[in-house]
This record gives sequence, C-alpha cells and structure tokens, in this order.
Amino acid sequence: MSQSIQKVCVIGAGTMGAGIAAQVANAGVPVLLLDIVPKDGTNRNAVAEGAVAKMLKTEPAPFMSKAAAKLVETGNIEDDLDKVAGCDWVIEAVIERLDIKQSLYARLEAVKRDGTAVSSNTSTIPLAQLVEGRSDAFKRDFLITHFFNPPRYMRLLEIVTGPDTDVGVAAKVEQFADVAMGKTVVHASDTPGFIANRIGTYWIQLGLNAAFDLGLTVEQADAIAGKPMGVPKTGIFGLVDLVGIDLMPHLQASLTSTLPKDDPYQAIARTHPLIEKMIRDGYTGRKGKGGFYRLNKEQGRRKETIDLASGEYRETIRASAPSGPAGKGNLRALVEAKGQTGAYAWAVLGGTLAYAAALVPSAAADVVAIDDAMKLGYNWKAGPFEMIDTLGAAWLAARLEAEGQPVPEILKIAGDRTFYRVEDGKRQFLGLDGEYHDIVRPHGVLRLADIKLASKPLLRNASAALWDIGEGVVALEFTGKMNALDGEVMKLIVEAIPLVAAKYKALVVYNDADNFSVGANLGLALFALNIAAYSEIEKLVAGGQMAYKGLKYAPFPVVGAPAGMAVGGGCEILLHCDAIQAHAELYTGLVECGVGLIPGWGGNGELLDRWQKNKFLPKGPMPAVAKVFETVSTASVSRSAAQAKEMLFLRADDAITMNRDRLLYDAREKALALVDGYTAPEPPTFRLPGESGRVGLGMAAEGFHKQGKATDYDMVVSDALANVLSGGEADLVETVSEQELLKLERETFMRLVREPRSIARVEHMLETGKPLRN
Amino acid sequence: MQVYEAPLRDMRFVIHELHNDDGFGNIAALEEFTPDLVDAVLEEAAKVAQEVLLPINRSGDVEGCTLENGVVRTPSGFKEAYTMFREGGWCALASDPEWGGQGLPEVVNKMTEEMICSANLAFSLYPGLTHGATTAIEGYANEDLKRFYLPKMVSGEWSGTMCLTESHCGTDLGMLRTKAVPQDDGSYKLTGSKIFISAGEHDLAENIIHLVLARMPDAPAGVKGISLFLVPKYVPKDDGTPGPSNGVSVAAIEHKMGLKASATCQLNFDGSTGWLVGRENKGMEAMFTMMNTERVSVGIQGLGVGEAAYQSAVWYAKDRLQGRSLSGVKNPNGPADPIIVHPDVRRMLMTMRAYNEGCRALSAWVSRALDAEKHAADPEVKQRATDFVALMTPVVKALFTDLGHESAHLAVQVYGGHGYIAESGVEQFARDARIAMIYEGTNGIQALDLVGRKLPAHMGRYLRSFFHPVSQFIEAHKADAQFKPMIEALEKAFGALQLSTGTIAQKGMKDPEEAAAAATDYLRLLGLVGMAFCFAKSALIARDQLAGGTGEAAFYKAKLATAQFYFDRILPQATTAFLAIKAGKASMMALEDAAF
Repeated sequence: MSQSIQKVCVIGAGTMGAGIAAQVANAGVPVLLLDIVPKDGTNRNAVAEGAVAKMLKTEPAPFMSKAAAKLVETGNIEDDLDKVAGCDWVIEAVIERLDIKQSLYARLEAVKRDGTAVSSNTSTIPLAQLVEGRSDAFKRDFLITHFFNPPRYMRLLEIVTGPDTDVGVAAKVEQFADVAMGKTVVHASDTPGFIANRIGTYWIQLGLNAAFDLGLTVEQADAIAGKPMGVPKTGIFGLVDLVGIDLMPHLQASLTSTLPKDDPYQAIARTHPLIEKMIRDGYTGRKGKGGFYRLNKEQGRRKETIDLASGEYRETIRASAPSGPAGKGNLRALVEAKGQTGAYAWAVLGGTLAYAAALVPSAAADVVAIDDAMKLGYNWKAGPFEMIDTLGAAWLAARLEAEGQPVPEILKIAGDRTFYRVEDGKRQFLGLDGEYHDIVRPHGVLRLADIKLASKPLLRNASAALWDIGEGVVALEFTGKMNALDGEVMKLIVEAIPLVAAKYKALVVYNDADNFSVGANLGLALFALNIAAYSEIEKLVAGGQMAYKGLKYAPFPVVGAPAGMAVGGGCEILLHCDAIQAHAELYTGLVECGVGLIPGWGGNGELLDRWQKNKFLPKGPMPAVAKVFETVSTASVSRSAAQAKEMLFLRADDAITMNRDRLLYDAREKALALVDGYTAPEPPTFRLPGESGRVGLGMAAEGFHKQGKATDYDMVVSDALANVLSGGEADLVETVSEQELLKLERETFMRLVREPRSIARVEHMLETGKPLRN
Repeated sequence: MQVYEAPLRDMRFVIHELHNDDGFGNIAALEEFTPDLVDAVLEEAAKVAQEVLLPINRSGDVEGCTLENGVVRTPSGFKEAYTMFREGGWCALASDPEWGGQGLPEVVNKMTEEMICSANLAFSLYPGLTHGATTAIEGYANEDLKRFYLPKMVSGEWSGTMCLTESHCGTDLGMLRTKAVPQDDGSYKLTGSKIFISAGEHDLAENIIHLVLARMPDAPAGVKGISLFLVPKYVPKDDGTPGPSNGVSVAAIEHKMGLKASATCQLNFDGSTGWLVGRENKGMEAMFTMMNTERVSVGIQGLGVGEAAYQSAVWYAKDRLQGRSLSGVKNPNGPADPIIVHPDVRRMLMTMRAYNEGCRALSAWVSRALDAEKHAADPEVKQRATDFVALMTPVVKALFTDLGHESAHLAVQVYGGHGYIAESGVEQFARDARIAMIYEGTNGIQALDLVGRKLPAHMGRYLRSFFHPVSQFIEAHKADAQFKPMIEALEKAFGALQLSTGTIAQKGMKDPEEAAAAATDYLRLLGLVGMAFCFAKSALIARDQLAGGTGEAAFYKAKLATAQFYFDRILPQATTAFLAIKAGKASMMALEDAAF
C-alpha cells in the first residue's frame, strides 16, 4: 500500500470534478477525466472534452500552465472505465444522487485494482450509505474527499473515513492531496455537511433570517457580517449571490433531512418567500439574472440591490462599516454595539459560535480542525474558537446562559481560559480533556509564525526582520504594510549579510503573508516625489541596487521562497537569489511600467542575463533584449509559478511547492542542498545593441501605439526602458558591465520619476488600486 | 500719525510681473480684466481707502460702538462711509455677476481688501462678513433662498454674519447647543445664544442676515449633528422689503482690546425663524467653505495692518529728530538727525517692509490660484490650484497675521514712548492686529490644519503644488552667477523644509502629538520658504528690468535691496524653525500638569 499515486481518475466533469482534475494535472500527475456519453452527437467524449476546453477559458484559471492541461486525458464512463485499472486513485464527483453514485461504485468495483483508492466528493451524503452493498475490499479503499470550489484556489480538503477504511489507503490519499495537490487536510466525522458547510450553512441561514427579522437592508447586513466580523467583505448576501441562491433550498433540504431532529439547525431552517420568488423568477445570483445585488444594464450598469421588504430592486446604497472599534475588528464591540448593528452581529455571530462550539467532538475531533476548516473553506480570518478567544469563552457562556440558550460543553470546560495559548514558545490548544496540547505540524511543515513565537529575531527594524529558522539557515522576513519594500528593508539586508556569512550557512527570503511583496513602498516614494525630494529617491534606488547585489554576491546561498504576489521590487529580489522555491500560486512580474516607472533595483540586468543565456533564443544581442522589453513594457505578471518559469522569472531548476504550509521547509532544504561547495556567481557582462536597438524596440512599441494598445505616455515609459535594455550609448563591439548597466538603470529611473505623468500614475494606483492609462 | 498711501506699484508688480508664469496659465474667463482695467480698479480702491476709510479709523477707535435700547450704533462717519462704499460697488467687487456682483478676479479683490484693511480694519469686517455669508449661501442654499437674499447681500444693502461661537464652545463647535426645531412649513425655529458675533447688529444696513450653526432635535452628538441656518434679523416680506422683527436681539456688545469700531455682539435667538442651508447635519461642510474663504481674508487683514504700521513708522522715522548718525551728521541744519539714520531703526523698518512685500507676493500667488480654482478650463490646472489654495490657506492666515502683528509692535517701537500714547495712532494697530491671530481658527489651529490635514492628504499631493515650482526654480537658476548665494540660501531653507516635512509625516503617523508639537514652527518654515521663493523671483525680475533700463530704477533697486535684506536677516529664521522641529515634542511635553 505504500506505493504512491502516479495516476488519478476523476469521474464527473462538472465544475468540481473538472477543477479537481486540473489541480491533479497542476501537480504534474496525469489524470483521466471521465463523464457520461452525451445523448446526442457523435463525440462520445464531448462532455469531458468540453469541460477541459471551458477550463482553458475560465478566469481565474483552473490550470496553472498549458503543459498541465495536456496531462488531462478525457474519456467517457462507457468506453473508458476499464482504464481505471491503471489509476491509483479514483475521485467520484458526479451528481449528488445516491442511486447514481452507488451504481457507479458497483461498476468501478469490477474494474479497479485492489488498493486503488476511491473517494467521493459528496458534500451531503453519509459515507455509510455510499458504500452500502459494496464488498469489504471496496470499503477498505473507500473514503470521502470533500474539495471546495474552486479546487485550485481553495486550500481546504475535508477527509472522512469510514469504520472499514484502510489506514494506509487513507494516508496515501492524504499524502497526495497534501503534498502534490497542496491541500490542507482536515479530518471530519461522517456527519451531515461535515465541518465547513455545516457551520457555514448555519451562519448563512442566521444571516438571512436576522436581516429579514430585524429589517436590515442587504447592504447593512453585509457591512456588518463582512469585514468587521473577519469574514470576506462579500458578507452573507454577497456570498449567496456568488454560490447561487438556488443552491440554498437544496442544502437546506439535505441538512434538515439528515441532521438529528434536535439539531439547532432544524429550528432556524426557514424559507423566505422573497428568496423563493427570486429563484422562481431566475434571480439565482451572479450566474442568473442577478441576485440580492445586480448590475442593471438598462440603467447604464447601475448597481442595484433588492429591497428585502418590497422585493423591488433599487439603487445600491453603500452602507458604512460600524463606527469605532466595532468596525475595526473588535468583535466584542461589534456584538455589543448599540442598535441594529449589535443586534445583527450578535444574532449571526453568537449563534454561529455557539453552534460551532457544540460540534466538538461530534463533527470534528478538536477545535483546531473546526478553525482550520472555516479559515480555509470560507476564508474567515479567524476560526470560531479563535473568535471565541477574542470575545472570551466565559463571556460568551454567560451571555448564552443569560439568554436562556444552552451552553456548549466545551465552553464549560474552557471556563475562564482560552482555547489557544502559547506556552514555552509553542502554540497549544485546549482539548476536551481540559488540558492544553501542542499543535503538532506534520513533517515537512515549518511555519515562521511558530518560530516567531519561540524566538527573538536576529535583526529587526520597521520593515524587515531576520530569523533563525534552524539547521543553520536564516529567514529574511518583510514586515511592512503589504510587505512593501523601503530603505529599511535594504538596510536590514546590508546588515544581515555579514551576520549570515559569519554565523550561518544560508538565507531564505520568506514571509507568512498571503503576498510575498507588492514591491517598493509607493506611498513613501510618492510623498518624497511630491516634496521634490529627488535625492531621497535616488538614495533609495541606489541602496536597493546595492542591497540586492549584496545578496547575489554574498558568500552563502540565498533562496527566495515567494507565495502570492511578488511584483516590482518583490520580483527583483527573487531575480537576485541563487535559487527559488516557489509556492505554486506565484504571481510575479516587473510591473513598474504600469506606474510610469521602470525596474530600478537591478531587475533589468538580471532578467536580461537570463534571456541572454537562454539557449533557445537566436544569437546576437537583440533577441534577449526584445524578450525582456516585451515582458517588462507590458508589465506582464505570471499567473502561476509554472508560468513564471516560462517567463524566466524562475529558472528551469527552481522548484515549486504545492502546499503553502510546506514552502518554508522546502526552501530551507533547497538552501541546505546548495551549501556544500557554494561559490557566488560571476558578474555577467552584457552585449547590448545600443542606439539602433533602442530604435528597433521603439518601432515595435509604436505598432502597439498605432493599434491603440499603448498610450502616449506608454511610449515615453517604454522608451526609457528601451534606453536601459539597449545599453544607452552602448556600441555593439563593447560589452557593458553589470555596474554600468545599474548606473544607466538608475539614471533613467531618476529621469522618469520626475515626469508629472509618472507621478500621476503612481498617485492613481495608490488612490484607486488601478493603473492609470494616461 | 496714521499714514497710508496704497502701495500700488508693488501691487502691480506682484500681479503683472511676479506671478505671470506661476503655472496657472492665462484664465480665459478673466481675459476681460485687462491689466489697464485692473490698475484702474486698484487706483480707485486706493482713493476710497485713503480718502474715505482712513480718516475715520482712529476716530472710530476712540468712539467705538454703542448699544442703547437694543440698538447698536457704529461710530460717527461709518454709516456715511458704508453708504459711499456700497454705492461705489465695492461690496460687490468679487461676487458672481449672476447675483449682481462684478466678478473681478480674486487677485484684484484681495489687493483691494488689503487696502481697506490698511486704512480701517474695523470697517473691513462689515463688508467682509457679508461676503463670507454670501459665499456659503451661493454654495449650499437652495435656489429660492439664493434668489431672495443674494442680490441684496451682494450689493451690500443687507449685511451678513456668521454665528458659530457660544459661550462654552469656540474651537470645539461639536458642543454647541443652539436648537433648531423644524416647522410644518419647512422652516425652523431657532433658539439659543451666540457670542463674539462680528457685525451681529449695527446701523449700516437695512437688514442683517445671520448664518447660524444649530442642532436639530434628533441630531447625532458632536460635529456630525450640526446644521446651518439662514436667520434674517427682519423676515423679509414677499416684495423683499424688511418685514417683522424675527426675535434676534442683542444682549450686549463685547468690550474688546481693539477693533472697537466693529460691533461684536452677543446675540439671542428666541424662536427666530430660519431656513436650512445645505443638508441636514452637514452644517460644518458649508461652514468650512465660508471659513476657508474668510481665512485667506483674515490673513490679508494682517498684511493690511502691517503695511499701515510700516508707513506710519516710516513717516515718524523721517520726521522725528533724535541723535546723530554714527556715520556722520545727515541733517546739519537741524538740531538732530531724523531717526531713520540709525541702524536699529532701519532694522525695524526693513523688517516690516520685507514682511509686507513677502506676504503681498505670496497673497498674489494664492489669489491667482483662487482664480484658477474657480475659472481654469484645464481640470489638471484646476486641481493643482485647488490643492495649492488648500495648502496655503492656513499659511496665509497664520503667517500674515503673525507678521502683521509683529509689524504693528515694531511700529510702536519706532515711535518710542510716543507710540505707547494713544494719540500717535500706532498702538491702535497693535491692538487691532491682535484679533486676526485668533479669530477664524486660532493660528495654532491653522498650524494643526496644515500638518494634520493638508500635509498628509493624498500622500502629500497638496504639497506638490508648492514644492515643485520652488524646486524647479532652484534648479533653473542654480547656475546664475550673480544670485548664487541667494539661490543657495533658498535651496538650503527648502532642504530644511523638505526634511522637516518628511520627519513630520513619518513621526506624525506614529504619534500625532509629534506632528502637533511641530505644527507652528512648520507653518512658519513653509511661509519663510514661500516668501524667500517670491523674493528670489522678484530679485531676478528686478535685475533684468534694471539691466533693460525701464526707467523705474528706484522701484527695482528697492526691490533688490529688500530681497537681499530678507535673505540676510529674515530667512535665517528658517534654521531656528528647522531645529525646533527636529527637537521634537519631548521637552515641550515633559512636565506633569501639576508642575505648571
């Protein structure tokens, strides 16, 4: 049973099945995607093929690369089911009907090998019912793997095993789901809705009920049960619009029929005539004619909201967040706020937390599983028990009691204590036994947050810190807002280099945030520009160039470990690393042109060097220059780590980690592997085309300008870029040194930064978050 | 002796020569106001100031306003002067032609204001407050109110007030108590007491239109629950003539340090009928529109008094014979030399002169921006002008009034013992100028507005409208051999300003008290750099004109000398301000309250 998963079959090419198949392919593992034979038409694989074709056009993209899409083999369950014999895991993602699933399993049993795992992606049907009538051997191989939509981007995977499920089979699936597919596995009991949807549906139902009962507008409700509650700002009505209003009655029917009669959900499961009418009339949310919110195209794309009392659409009236601490993440202030705000917040949050607290141990073994499920499955900032900790378990128990509501057992166990604490630098959770237990990370998971609890930084300033992450490796962490880079970061890098050289083996550039870095601190730069403090800007540019080159030529290996966005200066630091261990979800690029600037921290030369050394390009100085020009002038950003490789932001031998939790560990391993015999790279020299090259690039840009794809000012910016990439005054016979190119980069940057239209772009980006096309 | 001759040549200089390339461009909408027309208006204004208003300045101070049986009487001659002023169209100078105004550019209007304030600061308040009130009505009132009230207010037949302060709240208006109860006909009944109401009651106009801040019954607490109301002294009849009295009464007139000819009243509103101006609970918004306009005008008051003080001091320094010049006798036929020969007297006169010319140059720059804000066709220019006005309003208000006050005291000093005697007329300047540092937001509040609101707004965008022109000027003229020391001094002060700006922005984000502790010095530093910029520009123009031999050599030579004096003797204050800012709040906040 120890044999790993080499090939996967997904049956059911709906949104979920196809998305799961894509994520398997993203892991580099071949996958067979099967669906039924369509009733009409000649192509018997049309359903599965259509699903793949559709995914290639879907945004956000289910596939991380075109190569991944090629790993999906399509077929149908009539002709191709026997191919399951060659698969190590079969994921069933067909319609939620017991009879159909059961008959499919019967057919699968006939063709699958023993030991090939079969899992259902059901979200509602108990495991016991699914395997009814199957052999013991089948039951040993069977489990539930409940993915969340969209499977590439949602990190939660709920796994439910039955009494007969083989531990080895489950472990094999879990290992693959974790390491290869990048999911964080939460074990759930075989109870209706498992964990996330059980709590999530309850929360949604409370939110809908309370808005009707208290007479809140949709906007008011979402302004309370949104950001202030630490949940996505779509709020509850916005979320229902997103997932589909018509899904609600199905979920409700499924849960009311499967949950015990005394489950609190039974009491709150109400239908609202307005919602029923909306579904009847086709107002099923974003996929339908509109939902609680809609864009009225007849009214010039006017944003409208449905009035819960009258059922009529009217212009959206943005509700402001609760004032004071209640609107700024203080949950206690929120639920105790005066008037409707507090009433609504308490109705929704108080009820949900009490419900979640009652689910340990019936639905989940411990509080950690519940919190992980809600954070990863519903994108909540904090899980229910983390929220209870901020409210106070005792306070919550007292309020529930005062209102005559039952107090969940686990709240009584907690008493005055919190569900989480830090003891001797270790994060611990409160068990049902009333004792605290260490939170144990799986092997291969290293979290900077854990290290930070247990140690002090080697260096720290306002924007960065340096941590000892064990094994002789240190991590450089950005700590500023959005991990923006400024002079402080550069200062810390310069200080770190001799320290690491003297006492450590290697350095990893890493942080726990969703986004590695959004690049230079533009707000700071804009302020400096506004007061014409150009020398300060130049200092920042020169300082960054020096710091990054310092990392590049340091006498120890430097590994970049980015996840999420790594743009502008955040991309440039990666270009200076010896190697990258990237999270699969890496969105990286040199986006400076978008704000009317060019890369200023050595990014031009580094990317140029990579393209010059690329053996697939024709000889001569121009092809590499043209490639970099194209990438940078269009501010192209990779949509995945795989794509970053195609764009040469990553090297061919840079590695990709699928599971975000494993990134730091993998990066540390990567760094350690480089330590023996490490020598710093040789500085490159550049052969650049000079003035004629600049003219050539200008002509290419002019083409876009004529088509209206490039604005007037794009031409000015791209000319500045062309000036750097072509080497300024460089002559073909001469070679340009790295330092000379840096100087040219700096001078050109400083010229551009004074342009009013560049300032306007920076300002617009900061004020609106969108690029200005001036 | 109070002496005043309008500085028309310098006014023409700052309007036509200094600021014709300030980046706001030519404003098409104002093209009809040709330089000749502008100069003609200024000459006429000078006559009014010198011949009508100056003669009643000191008498008005001596006589003051009186309250008898609820009726306030202005000093002798004020009513006649006001009538002449109004009939001459001076009330309507800058107002919108739609309401009967003449729509003159602000740059002309502000120079006129300066002249009026030089000649008679107390008088200036009557038309000044009316103008502020019309601005708020124009911006926020509904069409009916506008049509009914604006024409008469613009012409000056009716005057206006701003009723904000109550006995327990001035700066912190959120605490005010005056009530406004809605009536069935859409009007409101206002009840409450207001203090410090300039021109609250007087005998100059047939009706007085009060703009009153008050609170509706269910309004939220604090500044978010304040609305603005129009409350006439007499509710006008439909034909526009004043009707029955509206329950607004004068409880007292304040006995003040100066500005005695301006009636500052305590007003009681007793169920007075009013109408909402602007939106419910958004009174502060309308208030600030009016206030911002007024703040620039109050700055001009400081400049006006400063100019009158300077001229009166010059007259005395030439007239008064005491001692002999250290460089040899200058007045051999007299018993002594005029005191103007003495370096220390020169120091005082030159300081006043430099302050006045520096402020006037800045005021013309800001006025140009006010015009561009209103009339520029290019939205970018308009935005830049709006930013500049927002940035410079607190600077103009606080810097000009601080310097005007200082000039007034220097004038007293030039007069010596005689200056302390009322008959000299100059101690009146010192008393009159004092209030300008306080009202319309104390100068401390102005400094807080600058560092707390204007500096950080939009990542420093407002600053750009000032810093970029100065930076570009320095770079363009760095290589100028003749003015190298001057440009270098400007660059040094500008560098100190940049550094201080960055420091305040950074420190202030973490600790607002740090920004507040730096505020007053920062405002001064910015003002000093602004004046230095204007003087450097002026010096370059003067040199070119002298080289071209324009025949006005005396004016340009004097401009050069004043500019040089500014750089030698005034701009070094920038270093003081810079060091004070750098020191931070620590020693300022060190003592426990009990230690005071």
